[in-house]
Amino acid sequence: MNSLNAIQAKERLESKFLKKGLTLAILSGMFYGLYTAFITLGMSLGVWDDWYGVNTAALSAFTITFALGALGSAVNYSISAVWGLGIAGARGKLGDFFRSLKSRPGRIMVIAALVGGPISTSAYVIGLQLAGSIIVPIAALCPAIGAILGRLLYKQKLNTRKIFGIAVCLAASFIIGLQSVAPEAPPQMMLGIAIAFIAAIGWGFEGCVAGYGTSMIDFEVGILIRQSVSGLAALFILTPLFLFIGGDGFRTLSLIGQVVTDSAAMPFFIISGFFTLYAFSLWYKGNAMCGTALGMAANGAFSFWAPFFCWIILGVIWGQDGWALSPIVWFAAILMFIGIVLIAVNPLTVFSKKKGANAK
Amino acid sequence: MKKPLNFAILKYFTTVDEACADDVIEALKPEYGKFRHLTPKAVLEALFTGRTNGFLEESRYEMVDGELKIYFKAPPEGRATINKYIPD
Repeated sequence: MNSLNAIQAKERLESKFLKKGLTLAILSGMFYGLYTAFITLGMSLGVWDDWYGVNTAALSAFTITFALGALGSAVNYSISAVWGLGIAGARGKLGDFFRSLKSRPGRIMVIAALVGGPISTSAYVIGLQLAGSIIVPIAALCPAIGAILGRLLYKQKLNTRKIFGIAVCLAASFIIGLQSVAPEAPPQMMLGIAIAFIAAIGWGFEGCVAGYGTSMIDFEVGILIRQSVSGLAALFILTPLFLFIGGDGFRTLSLIGQVVTDSAAMPFFIISGFFTLYAFSLWYKGNAMCGTALGMAANGAFSFWAPFFCWIILGVIWGQDGWALSPIVWFAAILMFIGIVLIAVNPLTVFSKKKGANAK
Repeated sequence: MKKPLNFAILKYFTTVDEACADDVIEALKPEYGKFRHLTPKAVLEALFTGRTNGFLEESRYEMVDGELKIYFKAPPEGRATINKYIPD
């Protein structure tokens, strides 16, 4: 039988592990918000300002609507991969990167990267263009989809309390997303919503599968696989494809060249690439440590952190208009916090522990 | 070819009945001794993560000279999953 010392030491260790996993998952959502703010800022300066504004380069409407989003995402993921390469190298993990890449878990990470990177990102951008911002709450369904997939694919436990907590988080994400919904419905709204649903499924799949993969592959190695695959696929397949459809295919190299040599926007891409690395690597590690349901719910607070950091960085620091947060968004953030706590902790257990402590 | 460290940690549990983090480090030292991440803290975290994802389960724990040792084992299903993802 274990001594009281052993029981207490074990409880402390268990709690430390859960708190670390939860902290990483919450931080991943915050880094996601920071990356969103910096990439949005970068894509409003220099050549981007011209392309989305006066358009002296005479890019086609399709290119502006679809290909530029893919190009921004491709450059961001590629820079993130370079950050990942440097960090993994400095921490002596490059050998494991090449060894993991050839393994079955490595191939799973590649599939998760392709589904979550180019496929879901494109679906999100296309959905946004077709249906407008109504798709934001649709995409926020990804934590619930991830939790369901975790239950189906990896038999991760889901009880009533966790399901209720996920529902509370989803409701909060919906409330935030609805703030940006435009009053007039675009003509292709249903198609846009359907395509955005692909993004939600893709990100749910990525979080669940890559989280499981990260229980076998080191998270700094896993993220290097993710960002390299996403960056290369977006840069050399997705962006040229969209440019080709938009009639600007012959300009692929020239546009990439203009972006990477743009001294006004590029510093912000370098910053956003850094935050992207931790947004995804901590997401994977948090999911691996907490299980998909809790990890994705804690990460799902990005739907609050993204507008929050856009307000701080673009609104308060950069002085751009229109980024202020409404009181309802703050209310939703508190609701989301309650939902995360509900998934993580059984309130009855906490209550009974406190009662026990008082009795002593 | 040498496996990544995390693979080797999980794979070790398919060869023993149970082990704690210190046992894993001792067993892997000859091949992975130079890896900076072969530390009690990192290995224990890998074992807890393995448990969350169903590869491992806890078998027992005890205090030895004021230090907590948690032993893990790979149940048949976990063992099969490890062997499926990480073949010999």
